[in-house]
Amino acid sequence: MPDSNSSSTGEYVLQATGLQKAFVAPAGRLQIIAGVDLEIRAGESVSIRGSSGSGKTTLLQLLGGLDIADAGEVLVRAPDSGKRVSPQSAIGRGIGFVFQNYQLMPELTALENVALAARIAGIATKEANAAAKELLISVGLGERLEHPPARLSGGECQRVAIARALVNRPAVILADEPTGNLDEKTADEIMKLLLGVVAARGTALLLVTHSAEFASRTQRRLVLSGGRLGSA
Amino acid sequence: MPWFLHLALRQLFPPGKRFPAFATVSILGVGLGVASLLVVQTVMNGFGEEHRLRIRESFGDCVVLGQKPIEQPERLVAQLKADAAVQSASSFAEGPALARQGDFSGIAGVRGIEVADQNQPARNYVYAGSFDELDDGRVILGIGLARALRVQVGDKVELWSPSMAERAEKGKAPLPAEFEVCAIVRTGFTEVDDRAALIPVRRFRELWNLGSRSHGITLRLKDPAQAPAIAGRLGVGHPELRFIPWQDIKKNFLEAIRFEKTMLFFLMFIITLVASFSIGSTLFSAVIRRSREVGVLVSLGSERWKIVMLFGLQGFLIGALGTALGFLLTWAILFFRESILGTINGLFGDGDMVASVYQFSKVPLHYDAKDFVVAAGFTLLTTALAGLIPALWAAGRKPSEAMRDA
Repeated sequence: MPDSNSSSTGEYVLQATGLQKAFVAPAGRLQIIAGVDLEIRAGESVSIRGSSGSGKTTLLQLLGGLDIADAGEVLVRAPDSGKRVSPQSAIGRGIGFVFQNYQLMPELTALENVALAARIAGIATKEANAAAKELLISVGLGERLEHPPARLSGGECQRVAIARALVNRPAVILADEPTGNLDEKTADEIMKLLLGVVAARGTALLLVTHSAEFASRTQRRLVLSGGRLGSA
Repeated sequence: MPWFLHLALRQLFPPGKRFPAFATVSILGVGLGVASLLVVQTVMNGFGEEHRLRIRESFGDCVVLGQKPIEQPERLVAQLKADAAVQSASSFAEGPALARQGDFSGIAGVRGIEVADQNQPARNYVYAGSFDELDDGRVILGIGLARALRVQVGDKVELWSPSMAERAEKGKAPLPAEFEVCAIVRTGFTEVDDRAALIPVRRFRELWNLGSRSHGITLRLKDPAQAPAIAGRLGVGHPELRFIPWQDIKKNFLEAIRFEKTMLFFLMFIITLVASFSIGSTLFSAVIRRSREVGVLVSLGSERWKIVMLFGLQGFLIGALGTALGFLLTWAILFFRESILGTINGLFGDGDMVASVYQFSKVPLHYDAKDFVVAAGFTLLTTALAGLIPALWAAGRKPSEAMRDA
């Protein structure tokens, strides 16, 4: 059953039903996700907390189509048609990712990293560069467009990663510990930025974090424990 | 430009690095492999072509021989000249003689030729003097023989033929034939240069007691490549004569050159193959190192085949640039081949190996476009495959696993 903690009244952009995932470990079968139901509405911000190894990242990967569940189903609203589709077919345009380690291409500049996501989605280079530039300026990196990741601070790299996740105007952003590698002050700035830009664009956000403080800034707060989601 | 090509170029040639290690070493490896292959092929082609040319110029495009000397060769020459495929025909006679000048002597391969024949190949190799001054009292010497006898144009040499020994056996005093050197030829083919002594065929017949007979007839053909077919046709009606096309004159030798070239191609190709394996191995390491990036590209919505292209293109680009470098290196090595060979001879040899072993004064070359196409084709194929295999592996990975690794 979908969780009943939804506080937003918008259209669902992501629905997961009965998700299960287990890994085979030397000690035996390890059930990481044991029946997760989740619904996220357009423009809603949701946080998931949990201890290390509780399966937060695995759940995010199942929801984002980067891994396949043993059982259950995930449906995402397609960006163009509005139909419900599998996350694998919505990846890139329907779903955006922000990772803990930024995961930028080291050989590309900040502008090229953001534009790459748009070009992969089929947007022409000129338009992709224009959209990337606009987003980078909006996240405060107007002076860093031509800098490669090696010449950016951790906070700046994460800003680039946020801009990259937003460039295709996805319905939902899945953020996996986006402040995990940052100092307290920068982490706070990044959280404000992330929550601000998704709110401004009406994009839904699913935030995986250790921080109770950052989780408290989202509209809905969940905890993953024993492979199941519950209210914080 | 598609994004995967843009990214492939950036990963191979990251900005700010003039000589990125992986790309530089890989391209250099392929370039050296291709250059080795093509240098060997081009020189071997050169040896083959030079030998074929020398054989044709020494023996003609087709040589007519009999079990016995040919009686009244002029009649047969006239008959053969009338054939549409024949450019020229001239009789010849040949045999060994002792050449002497003062205290110096040497063995000469004396050949009696028709001086009036404008197609005599010796005309093309005159180093000193004049071919047209050849008459019954004059001789043309190969440069090696002239040096051995310490003679120049205008000097006198004596020739002692076997028939003079017969004369001595009969109790008559053997008198050598004296000739003035009217020209010296330099063919670059030491077998010819060290032995050749050309005199008019009429004079040869006198010295060898041949009467009006000749040892054979040399034919120049309008299309030398067709020599076997023409020889077969001309031989009909002449069972006492053998018409030998130039391809059969030193057949085993030419076959050996061809076989040598094939084997060297095979051996040199292994070098290119090793370079490709090295690229494959390095690309595989690079792909493993970039596992997270593969996962990220999937999370950005990249289709799998584009990830295959991203890494596969890197192998192909290395192959293409390495092949271009190989062509350039081939040209440079062959352009400076004499200096390079001189250095090698100076360091490891004790003489001119090309002249002593292969009987050429210079390393011969023959560029064959087919060799370049084959080398480029094989190299591009192997390097593309070397890039493709790790690319397929990378694209087949689950993004969640790829992002956990490396």
